[in-house]
Amino acid sequence: MNTNSNIYTVIYTSVVCVLVAAILAFVSQALGPRQQANEKAETISQILTAARFAEKAEWDSRGNDAVLSFYKENIDSAYTIDATGTCNGTLNVEDAEIVTVSGLKKQNYLIKDAAAAPALPVYKFKNGVTVVPIYGAGLWGPVWGYIAFDKDLKTIVGAYFDHESETPGLGGKIKDDPSFRESFEDNQPDFSSENIFEIVKGGAPKGEDKKDLADNKIDAITGATMTSKGLDEAINTWLNAYKPLLNR
Amino acid sequence: MNAKLKETILNPIFKGNPITVLVLGICSALAVTVEMKGACVMALSVIIVTGMSSLVCSLLRKTIPNRVRIIIQLVVVALMVILVDQVLKAFAYGIDKQLSVYIGLIITNCIVMGRIEAFALMNKPIPSLLDGISNGAGYGLILIVVAFFRELLGSGTLFGLPVLSALGYTNNGLVILPPMALIILGCIVWVQRAIQKDLQEK
Repeated sequence: MNTNSNIYTVIYTSVVCVLVAAILAFVSQALGPRQQANEKAETISQILTAARFAEKAEWDSRGNDAVLSFYKENIDSAYTIDATGTCNGTLNVEDAEIVTVSGLKKQNYLIKDAAAAPALPVYKFKNGVTVVPIYGAGLWGPVWGYIAFDKDLKTIVGAYFDHESETPGLGGKIKDDPSFRESFEDNQPDFSSENIFEIVKGGAPKGEDKKDLADNKIDAITGATMTSKGLDEAINTWLNAYKPLLNR
Repeated sequence: MNAKLKETILNPIFKGNPITVLVLGICSALAVTVEMKGACVMALSVIIVTGMSSLVCSLLRKTIPNRVRIIIQLVVVALMVILVDQVLKAFAYGIDKQLSVYIGLIITNCIVMGRIEAFALMNKPIPSLLDGISNGAGYGLILIVVAFFRELLGSGTLFGLPVLSALGYTNNGLVILPPMALIILGCIVWVQRAIQKDLQEK
């Protein structure tokens, strides 16, 4: 058979393409539910880490089911609010319904558009802690995270951040360095100032106490100026969107 | 095992290593060698992809039209890469998150296409499978050696466990960045050329 004829080439490539497409479609269908469950559990474990129930590594070792059941046991209510702070939707607690990263990305566009009506998720736990997400652009890709507020909705009790492709050891520290996350604790966003929250360069000279900084400022990461800037912008944009909830 | 098959398996590991001798797949070698864990998973993924795509292409070698063979190879490689990515997403989500971009970039890894072009299209399936696997292993070996130095000196840890950092070592930020991977890689090439005299230009 002449494998170099035009007809053979066209038929051969078509058959290969259809076959490969069929295999991929099948695999995607078969593994899809498992992948979505993983993504959901990952998001919930990040929320729970921000709310200081346990460290992220512990959630990872406990597995998806434990994360979900812990969330269902401890969540008080989960809902979405619009730009005026009015509740415009509820998230089903029994199903542990949450807004995943792709959902945050969508909301990030709506926040910046004054005419749009965003549906910003709020997670309120039984111990009074309220968790809100943030989303923005880092240096190489998106950064996002969760900030947990105490009962008064003013004091930050914890935070957790994640990123898609920041440099490990530099920008990646927003996720990997526990001391960066811890520096958010006991701070308060200041809604009266221009910058609601600030990540500042050289905020804490060596040996000095970080508490010397104003309540709405934390020290940036050395060598990760752009990531720190991006995170700063993400936090400001999103906390501003949550102003009706947080600045009462 | 006959001598030729043995040569197929052992050659890519050291004497004809895809990274240090053929200088293929440098890009990802610089990118995923910051931590041991990532490097190990990447090595394993590349072994699977090179092995499976060499096997499939070798099985198809007599039917592939010569004029579109690169495209067909690309389709096969892409299929394998997406399968690996999907399986990791379902069963090792944490690791997939860490490697996300680089798994997809295995498609562009010259080693995969290079071995199909140079070996799988001219040889029987079983030797092709072995050739793919050992080339992937040769690549993985270098990846792990580079990652060992970079994680140890850059973060003071190995597999995330404190080693040097427990001794009060101050992390070297330069080692984390890609240029240092190139320097370490250069040192490995240097060592290999010193041992393997036939690689030296006259």
